[in-house]
Amino acid sequence: MNTLMTSDHRRPTISDHTSPVVVARDLKTHFQMSAGIFAALTGGAVPTAKALDGVDLRIREKEIVGLVGESGCGKSTLGMSLVRMYQPTHGQILYRGEDVTKVEGRRLKDYRRHAQIIFQDPYSSLNPRLTIGQIIEEPLIIHGLGNAAERRQKVVRALDLVRIPAKDNIDRYPSDLSGGQRQRIAIARALVLEPKFIVADEPVSMLDVSIQASVLELLDELSRELGLAVLYISHDIATVGYICDHVAVMYLGRIVEEGKAEDILSEPLHPYTQRLMAAIPRMDLADAPQRHELKGDVPSPMAIPPGCRFASRCPYATELCHAVEPDLAACLGTRKVRCHIHDDRAAAEYPHLRRPKQDQVTEMADLGVLAEVAGSRHG
Amino acid sequence: MSQIIVSDADPIKGRSVLGAMGQSLRMLMTDNFAVVGVSVLLAFAVIAIAAPWIAPYEPFKAMMTESGRLNRLDPPSSLHLLGTTSFGNDVLSQFLHGFRVALLVGLVAAIAVGLISTIFGVLSGYFGGYVDDALMRLTDIALSIPTLPFSIVAVALLGPSIENIILVITVLFWRNGARIIRSAVLTERERVYVKWARAAGASHFHIITRHILPNIIRVVFLWVTMSVAFAVLTEASLSFLGLGDPTVISWGQMLNTAFSSGNLRTAWWWVIPPSLALVMLVSSLYLIGRAYEEQTNPRLRRR
Amino acid sequence: MASLALDRSSPRRMSEANRHELAELNHRLEAKPAARLKVENLSVTYATERGPFYAVDDVSFEVRPATNLGLVGESGCGKSTVVKALMGLQPDTAWVGGQALLDGDNILGLGERALQQIRWSRISLITQSAMNSLDPVYCIGDQIIEAIRAHERVSKSVAWARAEDMFALVGLPASRLFEFPHQFSGGMRQRTVIAMALALNAGMLLADEPTTALDPIMQSQIMSRIRGIHEQMRRSMILVTHDIAVVAETCEDTVVMYAGQVAEKGPTNDVLKLPLHPYTMGLQNAFPRLPVRGEPRQPLISIPGVVPNLHTPPKGCRFAGRCPFATDKCHSEPPPLVQVGHQSATCHYVDRAAEFRVLAAQPNTWRKTKAEA
Repeated sequence: MNTLMTSDHRRPTISDHTSPVVVARDLKTHFQMSAGIFAALTGGAVPTAKALDGVDLRIREKEIVGLVGESGCGKSTLGMSLVRMYQPTHGQILYRGEDVTKVEGRRLKDYRRHAQIIFQDPYSSLNPRLTIGQIIEEPLIIHGLGNAAERRQKVVRALDLVRIPAKDNIDRYPSDLSGGQRQRIAIARALVLEPKFIVADEPVSMLDVSIQASVLELLDELSRELGLAVLYISHDIATVGYICDHVAVMYLGRIVEEGKAEDILSEPLHPYTQRLMAAIPRMDLADAPQRHELKGDVPSPMAIPPGCRFASRCPYATELCHAVEPDLAACLGTRKVRCHIHDDRAAAEYPHLRRPKQDQVTEMADLGVLAEVAGSRHG
Repeated sequence: MSQIIVSDADPIKGRSVLGAMGQSLRMLMTDNFAVVGVSVLLAFAVIAIAAPWIAPYEPFKAMMTESGRLNRLDPPSSLHLLGTTSFGNDVLSQFLHGFRVALLVGLVAAIAVGLISTIFGVLSGYFGGYVDDALMRLTDIALSIPTLPFSIVAVALLGPSIENIILVITVLFWRNGARIIRSAVLTERERVYVKWARAAGASHFHIITRHILPNIIRVVFLWVTMSVAFAVLTEASLSFLGLGDPTVISWGQMLNTAFSSGNLRTAWWWVIPPSLALVMLVSSLYLIGRAYEEQTNPRLRRR
Repeated sequence: MASLALDRSSPRRMSEANRHELAELNHRLEAKPAARLKVENLSVTYATERGPFYAVDDVSFEVRPATNLGLVGESGCGKSTVVKALMGLQPDTAWVGGQALLDGDNILGLGERALQQIRWSRISLITQSAMNSLDPVYCIGDQIIEAIRAHERVSKSVAWARAEDMFALVGLPASRLFEFPHQFSGGMRQRTVIAMALALNAGMLLADEPTTALDPIMQSQIMSRIRGIHEQMRRSMILVTHDIAVVAETCEDTVVMYAGQVAEKGPTNDVLKLPLHPYTMGLQNAFPRLPVRGEPRQPLISIPGVVPNLHTPPKGCRFAGRCPFATDKCHSEPPPLVQVGHQSATCHYVDRAAEFRVLAAQPNTWRKTKAEA
């Protein structure tokens, strides 16, 4: 059963012909910020936070898709939009071919049975006043499935799936359990309705490193055993590399790079992905790739700059980058990158604008006096 | 994956309401002050229920002396343990009957106030938006009404009866509770498990009854305890001002009669018992509320 | 001791007298040597409703002058408690035992006045959340000059000039000294806190998980500045973190803590490449490593079980409940601190470390432990 942990672990290859469970098509979720009275009276534009601004993604059965990015990039918004916690404002969500973007009532409730979400904080995602049994049973009660005896059976089965002994724990309270165990309960709760799609929003970020692996392992096994499609959201690209088949990197509401996990991790193409990978601390400082300091801060989702969204911070940015936003273009087979360095089309259209080149730094960020001298190492 | 055969098909149990209450009570009993408060309250309740049987005389019956004259303002004696009033009534009997009014008003008003505050608070806090705005503006209007002048006018218009007094108290006292409960609901609404329940498709009713109410019940309880104290005091104040129900004996009314007959300073046997009883009732409620708050709000606990 | 060659090209006009005063201040401050800290038998016990809580038990280590020491451990190991004890930030209900000699002076158990004298001036703290250090109602500049003027007799404008220099060190424009903490983004706030901690060139810096709340790119930027401090200013530092790789990149020495005790300590290279304590071995293998193309992925292990309850600490080795190599001796006798070269570990079977290392890299070893995560 535990094939993950053999030294020659490979995730099962998913054939291209498998139809996807969930597809996002140009999905956008814009939030209207509350305008002041003045603006409302004078008819001024209401500021909109474009948290999610056009994402295409597909997740197939038994596939674990990783979504990586920093705060404000829209990954959580995408996850929440896919389970209809946030209402997408444009675009489509297709569940097994059916458009569920705007459904309500009975149909929405049906969709909710099949799409579940797990949150980051194991300490606040369980109601402290309910027993473990009641917590896991709740989704069944919400959807009116089965009588008390049948519900108990399903709860026991769910606990078994997450490797928590049912008999001992079904009547305990969350405060009796550790963080790792609570996260498993949250997973059990998500599984009790037998969903087909799970969004895991940073499920291990708040757990100690020494127990992260067991929860990740669990997610991996469950996806294979139960045929689940999983969207794994994290800012920690290293853990993403462990269980994901396919990875998408997000920045300011859009995907900037996409491809197979091992490709992206070993050879990132987009400057942002490169910087993310470089940021990971290495056991040997000498192994760390060059870490360019990024200029400035992430732009606000309410004021997205023209051209490439990353241009304001990119060390390789040129005039072309500031003027034209690149499309997500196919590159090297299954990979896709949103960058003029790897995409010729814009350069052909605007020949007068200088084109960026890999490793050609155009502008250095101000490091201050304290930045470490490159290549030096403590004794 | 093995097949689970469940031999006992018991439904999944949790903490029942009674069990929760029992546990709260036990926690409360560890605080000495709370024990005092609860005992006093229980004693008062017992007296209130038993009053008609243990009162030696009828409260409004005029007592005659042997010589056939009205036994007015008689200090405590073996015949009248707490003496008599200026109208010849037995103070003790009146005093015991006063317990009933106090507790009746306290209880009914508190329940009514509790219910209204909770409904307002929950609807406001949970739904937010226009519902919240509308309800809170209503609350603001209610808050701007001055308590005593309004009560006086209302009682004057509606007539002095116990029902009207309870009505007035109810109309006035839900407003603070609504705000307090609303903020508690706001906190609960943002909990991750509530968000999760919504994501799973729970109806509003389900979330309110399953997640919000059980977690705010403490706040409601605290508020109700305080409301009882306010209600009792308000009833006493109104009666003292002469707006009380003349057919019913209450402590406030006793004090009113003592005052208006000019004997407030001299007839100590008439004045002290009702005053003391009021003080004890309100204090015991306060002690219970305080101990409860300390239990539920860990920051208040002494190290 | 390197002194900072700062470009005094700030447009701020200063009078001759002030310039002189500033030069003197800088000279005084830069003359401060890096501190040596010797922590001996530090114990911290909290009084709680459920009885005493033995948060830290008999911890000893040394920070050599001008070196970085990484204090590594997971939740509940006591590392933050150690740092708070060193800064004198423990509540009154805590009992602190042992001593911490900062350049020979014991800094534990000092009164409020004595603490005020050493804080910022000899020992500085960079906290996890910058908002814990920054007062939201005062502008940043005012806060820094308050710290400076509490210890040095200089005029406001000289102190402000020094604050500007500090901001230049961390790469923030001097004009932002007039702003308030809420106007800064998370990464900038953290840089501000670093600038504040350096204002008086304290010999000892304590950094308590300074990057945990930040995004990965910001984390690497802050850490590179911390390494810069180390190289250019030659201060001593204790860096508290749960991330072993951060320690690998930044610290010369490492102390690994578990359940309030020191599990292992020594030079970072030794501790991380050839760990002696099974916990360190497990922790190492629990960190995801980046895949190398063509090679099979390294298995990721999990240490089953939970940290023991420190209200009633176990009588033998505290890691015995989760250790795959534990014997009866481990459960009954507390292990001694055994020294091997420059490294030491509290374990009964240090001599078998090489064998354990091989086994610890395999997930099945950890699976056989009876504890349940």
